[in-house]
Order: sequence, then structure tokens, then C-alpha cells
Amino acid sequence: MSEHEQRDGANEEETERRESVASEEGTAPDDLVASDDLEEDISTAVAPIGPTEPSPGTLELSHDGPPSGPGDEAAASSRGSRMPTSPASPEELERQILELEARLDQMMREGRGASAQPEGGARKEGGASPVQPTSATSPHGAHGSSSTSGTASAGDVGSTSGSTSAPGRSPRSEPPRSGEPGAAGTAEAPADAPEILSSEYYNQRWGRDGMRRRAEEVDEYGFDPRYEERYRPLFDFLYRRYFRVEVEGIGRIPNEGRCLVVGNHSGGPIPYDGLMLRAAVQREHPRQRELRWLAEDFVYYLPFAGTMMNRLGAVRACQENAERLLSAGKLVAVFPEGVKGISKLYRDRYKLQRFGRGGFIRLSLRTRTPLVPCAIVGAEEANPLLHRVEHLTRLLGVPYVPITPIFPALGPLGLVPAPTKWKICFGEKIYFDEYGPDAADDDMLVSRLSERVRASIQALVDRTLAGRRSVWFG
Amino acid sequence: MASRSSKPPAPGSSPPPSPGTSTDRPTRGRVVALTGAAAFLGRNLLGLLEEDPRIARIVAFDIKTPETAGPKTRVVSVDLTSPSSEQRLAEALVEEQVDTLVHLCFLSSPTHATAWAHELESIGTMHILNAARRVNLRKLVMWSQTILYGAHPTNPNFLTEKHPLRADSEEHYFADKMAAEREVNAFSVKSKGTIVTILRTAPLLGPTVHNYVTRYLSQRAAFTLLGFDPLWQFLHEVDALAAFKLAIDRDVPGTFNIVGDGVLPLSTVARMAGLSSVPVLHTLAGPLIGALWTVQAAATPPSFLRYLRYICVADGTKAAQTMGFRPMYSTREALSDYIGAQRLRDAQLLSDPPA
Repeated sequence: MSEHEQRDGANEEETERRESVASEEGTAPDDLVASDDLEEDISTAVAPIGPTEPSPGTLELSHDGPPSGPGDEAAASSRGSRMPTSPASPEELERQILELEARLDQMMREGRGASAQPEGGARKEGGASPVQPTSATSPHGAHGSSSTSGTASAGDVGSTSGSTSAPGRSPRSEPPRSGEPGAAGTAEAPADAPEILSSEYYNQRWGRDGMRRRAEEVDEYGFDPRYEERYRPLFDFLYRRYFRVEVEGIGRIPNEGRCLVVGNHSGGPIPYDGLMLRAAVQREHPRQRELRWLAEDFVYYLPFAGTMMNRLGAVRACQENAERLLSAGKLVAVFPEGVKGISKLYRDRYKLQRFGRGGFIRLSLRTRTPLVPCAIVGAEEANPLLHRVEHLTRLLGVPYVPITPIFPALGPLGLVPAPTKWKICFGEKIYFDEYGPDAADDDMLVSRLSERVRASIQALVDRTLAGRRSVWFG
Repeated sequence: MASRSSKPPAPGSSPPPSPGTSTDRPTRGRVVALTGAAAFLGRNLLGLLEEDPRIARIVAFDIKTPETAGPKTRVVSVDLTSPSSEQRLAEALVEEQVDTLVHLCFLSSPTHATAWAHELESIGTMHILNAARRVNLRKLVMWSQTILYGAHPTNPNFLTEKHPLRADSEEHYFADKMAAEREVNAFSVKSKGTIVTILRTAPLLGPTVHNYVTRYLSQRAAFTLLGFDPLWQFLHEVDALAAFKLAIDRDVPGTFNIVGDGVLPLSTVARMAGLSSVPVLHTLAGPLIGALWTVQAAATPPSFLRYLRYICVADGTKAAQTMGFRPMYSTREALSDYIGAQRLRDAQLLSDPPA
């Protein structure tokens, strides 16, 4: 494996960080962040084979700050001591990084455009190498103070951008040549093309994009906040404009501590109820609590679906996972109808199916968790299921193949739900505190309690339905 | 690591061993035997035990001499695949009055020599247990792995020790290890006097360890399954050694998952390792990897593809509570430590670890 390819995951962050340091120093020196543990770790891990020259960021620092180091060459070593230690929020940092990346991309575009015409492109290093603004715009200003600066930035940038950078470095290391635009321009041109053509370059770009779009660490169930953030506009649109979700009784969800939300599952090829329930609690609840919903097993057999649901906050429905979530004091949503609920036909809409074997009751009894019944009205018309084909189940790994008015007919477009008006109602909390944890083994009791909860959700659904005048407008 | 184990079973009152002369061998202190002593875990554990003053003698069973063998170590050349090994093992165990046997003789990567691997792992474990039955063994520590739980879509996110081992039993690599673990469990039921500890480690990663995971990650491009991105978990090699040391020092009967904190999606692992992932349709991947494995071009047989598809992550709570084991490296740190060493190796600043 090549060095740069490996580097780009971790080292890119380091580069970004240095650059962010550089720009911040230029604009608002107080906002600078000195220590972010993780990135510091990565930068030290990379150090042995990283660029030995001072990076552009540190050089910028040395121009602005007091000259504490013996020279520019020592700037890298004294970087740590030079940086103020005022903390900034991660969001602020992220914004800076994104801003810088945008600037970088812009400069790269400019560089490529400019190198086509020799006059303008004379000052650029390789077309793809991000150039510090000072050296790009005012070459002579940057020039006098640091003849090594050019070398350093070219070297640093070259190694991170995945090129060997030898051709890009030579013109910059000789200050006199840079005064003659024509000569330098012709020297640059060949370095440009191979870099753009090499697969390394695209590989590196792709790697960087990929890392930017994911969080540093997913949580232990695979939820990736960055991934959710990326789809947030879509969910916002679905929540506010498309389904126009209305929420009633959100206050019945406790502000803290474990709680189990039990709801009716909507039929159809793609159930949006878990996702919208999560969105509803996140937006409407006074504490903006995070809700995790339990998803059926079969989702995890399917490519894309399982991974996507997982990154968005779904957790596979099983006792172990639910218990672990609840004992961590999380808010968990469960649809006890399960697959039976998803595969409800249109004519059975809002008729709650059997509640499995009452696993959620056992869970609640064992962990002493209060239940909040929940009715989701409107979701069951969004993907009206007319028929289910159950012959291909083994082959495809899905419990049934749905037939909706538009599904196989319009292809993937048929999976788009209808814009029904949704209403989510939360009922009064149900406590099972009078039974001990041993009651979880009493099958009769579990079955009775399960039926009781089912009836209360059914009543809640019926009540909400009675108050609804139109499927589309509520 | 050693200092953390506060309660030595035998007080370390014996004088530090003077190297060289066998007559000076301390008679007090514990005697630990290792099988598979020349492989990664055995070799490094041997080094740790050599430095521990509470350990009087070490007996190293392997077919070759571990280079970490010091003055306290007696190397006994035993080939577990031969039927006479049982006798040799028993003789050595009696002669040295071994009280703790650490069974590490398992392959860290799948091999094409499945018949030999079966003799070594499954039958070899039987030989070891038979030898152990003949002597009065105080403790048996065995190495197992969390991949034996198997990757299934029905797995909970965190598998506990109570979960059955459900790895693909068609695959020899898993089947032999599961058989070995079954035998050890049967042994622990029958021989009441012996403390039996089984440590199931997550896939090991670190600067010097060598196994199928490092081989997968050191590729330039590797297969992944289209649309699947399971969570992975690693254990740093140093943590693995610390766990074995802890199991030798303390008496903790039972089975324990030894895992690093945190999980990483496979795609992030690939990105961090600079791996270009080649997504393959999962229905095609099996035959493809099978063909590549047959011609010895793939690091693993097709049965390992499940781990690219489904989750197999274990819960280390029991080890933390009962054994007092806490990993020093998280999954992510173990991975970046491996990547750092791999980079140095690529730049030829670091030599390859001994296989």
C-alpha cells in the first residue's frame, strides 16, 4: 500500500487542522484551538514519516505571532507552545474546516484554470496543490520573509495530495526563477497533467470526501450523527411539508430516564414511522430527547437498508439490545406488531395485529420501565398495501413482496409514500411497578398485560381517527 | 501491567532467580506452561512472565524455540499433531510441577492445510487435556476468539458470553476452535479442582501482530459487500497480553470476552487503512472469494465473508467486572496503531514482524 493513500484518512485531518489554524490566526486569533486530543494523537502518530519541513500553517503563525522560535525552520517544533489555549466548540471547528476546504477547492480550480494560461499560472505549484493565499496572491510579499516557505508548502501539500511533488517543488525552491512567469509556467505544465491523470489523485479526493461525510466514531449501535445530519434536510422536508406531522401529548414522554414508547406499526414497503417518531421527539420534546427505535430482523438481511437504518438510529429488535439501551436510560420506541404490522393490508389499516409474544412487556417488567402508548395516524395510508406476494421470500430475504397501487408498476419510484397528513398522539404513561421483575416469567400475566397495552393503543388510534376529517388534510 | 495485578496467589518471597545455573532454580513461586509458545501470543507472554518475579519457572511447548526464552524458561519441543505428544506433555508437566497451563496453540489465520490444522487444534487440545488430567493442574487458561460467535443478522449488537458459538461449522478454522472450546468446557465440568479460564479475544490488531485481519487491511484494495457496512471491533495486542497475564495472576474461572472499547464501521476501517474497497454483490462474492481462496489469492476462505456482512461484536462487561480487565486501547486506537506501524513498514523504517 502506498504511503499517501494510507495517509489520507488520518493525515488529511491534520492538514486541515493546520490550515484552520493558519486562517484563524489571520482573521481572529482568539478563536484558535490548541488541543483536540484525537487529532493531536493522529498528528503525532503520523509524525515519523510526515513532512519534516514546517507546514504552511505554522509558517503563517510565525509571521503573525511574536518570533519565539529561532527561525521559520523551528516553527514546527514550537507550534504547540505558540498556540493560545482558548477552547472552541466542535461546530465552530467543523465550520472552519468546511470553509477552508471550500476555499481550497476554489483555489485548486483557479490554479487549474490559471495554469492553462502561462501568465496567470506562473505562481502556482502543481495544479492540484492547495496553495496558501499569501503565496498565491502576493508572491513578493511572502517572498522576502520566507524563501523556505514555498518549499515547505509545496512539500507538505505534495505529500498529502498524493503526488510525488518533485516537479512542483523545484521552481518554488529557487526564488529568482519565480520572477519570470513564462519560464516557471512552462516548467509547471507537465507536473499538472500527470497529477490530474493519476489514479492516486482521484483516490485521495475520494478518500477525503468519504471521511468527511462520516463521523469520527459511530456510537455503539452504529448511529452516525454526521450521516443523520446529511439527511436532515430531507427529513425536515418530510416532517414539516410532506407529512405535516402534528404531535399531541409530547409532554407525556418523561424528560429523562428510560422509557419505552409503544406504537402501532404502519404497513407498506418502507415504514417511515420509526424515523418520523424519532424526528418528532427530537423536534417537539422540550428536552429534545434522542429516541432509538427497534427495527425488525429482516432489515439486516437486506443490502443498504440495514446499514442505512442503523446509521440513522435504528437498533435491531432483540431483548439484549433493548435491555442495554434501557439500562443506559435511553428512550426506546418499539412496534410490537413487528413484521405482522408492516405487512398489514390496506383494508386492515389501524387494526392492531397480535403483539408477538409480549417481549416488550417482559422487557418493561424486568427493567421496571414505564410504557408510553403512541398512535401514529396517517402513516398507514402513506403506502397502502393491496397485496403481498409471499413466494419469493426466501430468495430475496424479505418477508413479502409488497404490491401497492404504484409499487412494482413504477419501479423504485413506487416506493415514494403518499403525502398523507400524520398525527402522532402519545397516551398516558403505564406503570407496571406493582409487579416485581419475576413477573416477567409469568406467561399468563405477560399475555394479559400485553393485551391491555394493545387495547389502550387501539383506543388511542380510534380516538385520533375519529377526530380526523380527511386523510390528506387531517 | 504486571503491577496492576495486586493479589499474587503465592507471595513473591522467593529471591530473584539467578540466571544460568539450573541448581539455583527457585523452588517457590509458580510454574507456568505455555503451548504455542513460539507464536505471537506465546512469545510475548513468555517475555512478560520472564520478568515477573512471582513466576518461578516457565515451560514452553512448541516445535521451535521462542526467541524470548530466558533463563527461567525450559523449552520442550512437542509436536501436538503426533500421538506421542500426550506422553511428552504429561512428563514435562509432572517433572516441572506445573500449576498453570496456558493453551495458546491455535492458528491465527486460516490455512489450506485443514487436516493438519484439525490435528493441531482439535486433537492437540485433546492431547493437552489428557495430559492435564494426569497431573494435578491448578489452572488452565485457553485462548479463544469472538469470531466464533459467528456473524448473523440476528446477533444482538453486543454478544455476551452466554451466547452460543454459532460460527459456520463447515469452515474448519471455526469448527476446530469450537471443538477445542467444547472439550475444554467438558474438562472444566469434570475436573473440579482446576480453574478453567477461557479468554475470547476480538480480532487482534497492533504494530507487530500478524493475522488474517492485518492481511486484509494491508491490501491495496479489498472486497467488501455491496450495501453492507457492519460494525467491527478490535483488540490491541498489548491488551490481549495484559488479559492473559491477568488471567494467570488472578483466579477467575469462566469464559470472558476480551475486547477493545468502541466499534467502527467497516467502511471507516477501510478508509483509515487507506484501503480501496471493491464492493461486490453478496450473491457473487461467495463463489468469487472461493475461487480466489482455492488458488491461494485470497487471505480468507469464503466463510469469512459473513463478517463483512453482519455484525459480530462482543460485550466486554463481564471481563471488566469479574476479571478487572480494562483495555488500554479502543478499537479505533488499535487500528491507528496498526496503521502507523504499517506506514513505517511501507517506508522501510520498520522491519516486518516475525511471522
